[in-house]
Amino acid sequence: MGERFGPGDQVRASRTDPAHHTRIPRYVRGAVGTVVEPEGRHPLPDLSSRRLPAEPEPVYAVRFTARELFGAGDHTVTVALWESYLEAAALAGPRAEQP
Amino acid sequence: MSGDHDGPAATIAARVRRLEELLEQRGLVEPLELDRRLAAFLTRASPANGARVVARAWRDEAFRGRLLADANAVLPELGLSMGGGLQEQRLKVVENTEDRHNVIVCTLCSCYPLALLGPSPTWYKSEAYRSRVVRDPRAVLREFGFELDPGVQVSVWDASAESRYMVLPRRPAGTEDADEQALAAHVTRNGLIGVAPV
Amino acid sequence: MARMNDVGGMEGFPPVAQEAGEPAFHADWEAHVFALNGALIGRGLYNLDEFRDAIEQLPPQEYLASSYYEKWFRAITSLLVRKGILTEAELAGG
Repeated sequence: MGERFGPGDQVRASRTDPAHHTRIPRYVRGAVGTVVEPEGRHPLPDLSSRRLPAEPEPVYAVRFTARELFGAGDHTVTVALWESYLEAAALAGPRAEQP
Repeated sequence: MSGDHDGPAATIAARVRRLEELLEQRGLVEPLELDRRLAAFLTRASPANGARVVARAWRDEAFRGRLLADANAVLPELGLSMGGGLQEQRLKVVENTEDRHNVIVCTLCSCYPLALLGPSPTWYKSEAYRSRVVRDPRAVLREFGFELDPGVQVSVWDASAESRYMVLPRRPAGTEDADEQALAAHVTRNGLIGVAPV
Repeated sequence: MARMNDVGGMEGFPPVAQEAGEPAFHADWEAHVFALNGALIGRGLYNLDEFRDAIEQLPPQEYLASSYYEKWFRAITSLLVRKGILTEAELAGG
């Protein structure tokens, strides 16, 4: 199974709020960022933490602007996110990170 | 176990000993296994390793390029690896330049490139660092006595998955004739995390 | 559901406190907990994700009152008890 996303793609981090263990930090949920590069394939921790079957899936380094995340700041934050945490974003609006 | 009582009144040290005893009785831990693991970890994992990688990258342009492209592949050239722990981790080395400064964090817990930096400092694991460095990295760097030029962009890297990040600091001025050992001596753990220039 | 570990971007925390020249472990028991976790995961009693989950599920008051390696210790014991490997009574020395 190939990777859904490639470098430069605009993606939105899911607005999920699960009761179980997850590795999508709250501060990125719902934010739009740019894929920097793939970071290998790993089982989704949401599943492996509950000993549920988990096939390795792609993980991506995704870069967000501070403005997108916090409404202020001139820095970027790059977060490693499993493919399950991401969806393709609509064409980037003015607040999204430019590659 | 004289002097030990059950429940929270027992000291944490006593409770840890009790746990180890039980596990040894069950054959789930071997006697002396923990000491061996600790010794192996402490000898293998050190910021001197990260410093050697940096020094090599400063001196060898081709190595630097390979390091930035695929760090795991080049570590064996220095007799290093990201294995030896719970799992072999992907290493991503991020380079500081005139225009960009990188800082590493694990907001969700305390993930850290142990093999190259050794045990992590308490501050790295603190809620204060983890919460604040993604929102205001310059303010956090200032607390480390590091005032970043306003023209430099800051990139924060949150090790939220399986990758581990390490900063390749900028080579200090005046080190053009230094050999690798002398160069490595310039590199600090804080520089490899990104809260110091080098 | 908010978990106490997920602090990225959270406001209100103090300046970062640094301890010059701090040792890798501040007490032997910390080093033992560190090594123990590796040994138990290595033996497959639980995996790293279960371990992190167990830390995150510590009751908030316990979580906040515990130091870093105390959290590890509490997580390890809760996992071992939940998996039926040990009992609370045994851990208490009874």
